[in-house]
Amino acid sequence: MDKMTIPRRHFLVGAAGTVCTGAVVGSGAGSALAQDTALPDYVAWKEPGAFIQHSENTLETLRGEIGSVVTPNDLLFVRNNLPSLTEDDVGDPEAWTVSVEGVSDPREITLAELKGLDVAQVASVLQCSGNGRGFFEHETSGSQWLTGAAGNVIWTGVPVASLVEALGGVADGVQWMTGTGGESIPDGIDPLSVMVERSVPIAAHEQALLAWNLNGEPLPLAHGGPLRLVVPGYYGVNNVKHVKRLAFTEAETQAKIQQSGYRIRDVGVEGAPDQPSMFEMNVKSWVTQPLMDASSGRVLVMGVALGGTEELATVEVSTDSGATWSEARFTGPDLGPYAWRSFVIATDLEPGTYRIASRATTVGGASQPEDFPPNHRGYGHNGWSAHAVDVTVS
Amino acid sequence: DLGKQIFLEGSGDMPACAVCHMLSDAGSEGEIGPNLDKLMPDEARVRIAVHDGVGVMPAFGEALTEAQIDAVARYVASVAGQ
Repeated sequence: MDKMTIPRRHFLVGAAGTVCTGAVVGSGAGSALAQDTALPDYVAWKEPGAFIQHSENTLETLRGEIGSVVTPNDLLFVRNNLPSLTEDDVGDPEAWTVSVEGVSDPREITLAELKGLDVAQVASVLQCSGNGRGFFEHETSGSQWLTGAAGNVIWTGVPVASLVEALGGVADGVQWMTGTGGESIPDGIDPLSVMVERSVPIAAHEQALLAWNLNGEPLPLAHGGPLRLVVPGYYGVNNVKHVKRLAFTEAETQAKIQQSGYRIRDVGVEGAPDQPSMFEMNVKSWVTQPLMDASSGRVLVMGVALGGTEELATVEVSTDSGATWSEARFTGPDLGPYAWRSFVIATDLEPGTYRIASRATTVGGASQPEDFPPNHRGYGHNGWSAHAVDVTVS
Repeated sequence: DLGKQIFLEGSGDMPACAVCHMLSDAGSEGEIGPNLDKLMPDEARVRIAVHDGVGVMPAFGEALTEAQIDAVARYVASVAGQ
């Protein structure tokens, strides 16, 4: 292969799976903090050494740390648009209230009451819209995530559908479910300019939860505790942390994070409400092992794959940069359409260099493209070529 | 310093950077966005963040002129972390 044709950032993929991540990309737009920087206090309980710190509020899980079916809380990435609430901010978690509006019987309801109303568990991939941003060639604003702004977790909470039913159903004309975060906004700025308030199409409420538990533990504040709106299959931004208001509305919120933020558009174009919003996730996969080196002979290639909102049909693996593909085998349980699945394929590799890629396809036929078209803010990258890793076998 | 002035006072439709960001040189203690003394962004990173926005941080490419964005980027990059 002619290495001159390889995108500049491609060589850095393997490095991001190891500890040598002082600067993930050379671009001034997103240099990461040094890897040996201690974790900020609010996430001091997480696994030291498992993350790339892009900023205090953005921690990326190293590629090689992510192979499990379920991502443990202490390895789960962090992307907080606003600083996490503190225990002092929250007080007694059981007394936390959420205001439910746009239903026949609108009212405030406490977390304790929600826990007595109904309960469900859902396994779903939590993934930042910008996961893979660092693979784009154009300069982008925001953390230069590669693969590690994603995890597969199990939420426990009350189904929003049960809550709606208990409150008499939604009003006529409702098109959107709108969640509002409980962070306080300082004086001196228009709240709409920085508040986290997201609307999703009303149909998504059928799979949504108000969740208080993450992987069997009380939902940590860093991940939106004590209560978070979870919309399985949707990008992370729609899963509003510290949720204080759940409204069934005729229109989308006017918050900038909805109107102009998290919109897919061509490079150089301003964000606007008529552009596609970052709602449902697309099909995606990436190899988690090996990332840089392997010994010749039998080499197990492993990774994770998600279908977004659809079940996966297949994952294929290529060790020759996509010239030929072989079907991998799923390992571990199928946790449903919103979860990811781990996969493995046994290869027999002679000494040499290999570009190893994976390509997932859903039961509906959606498949990862070779390349994902650039968009201004660097969202939604699922191209298999950029996610491939260069491995030296000796 | 035009950059410091924009940081502390904002301009037109853009609120002061100081409302949301901590930066010791400017004496600001905002806690909404990243602490710039810890982030220590270079000029290019500030410029694109101000122009395009980051997450909930709005884009100010319309509210500010290129010269204003350059000034604030130069200022922040030169004093952050000091």
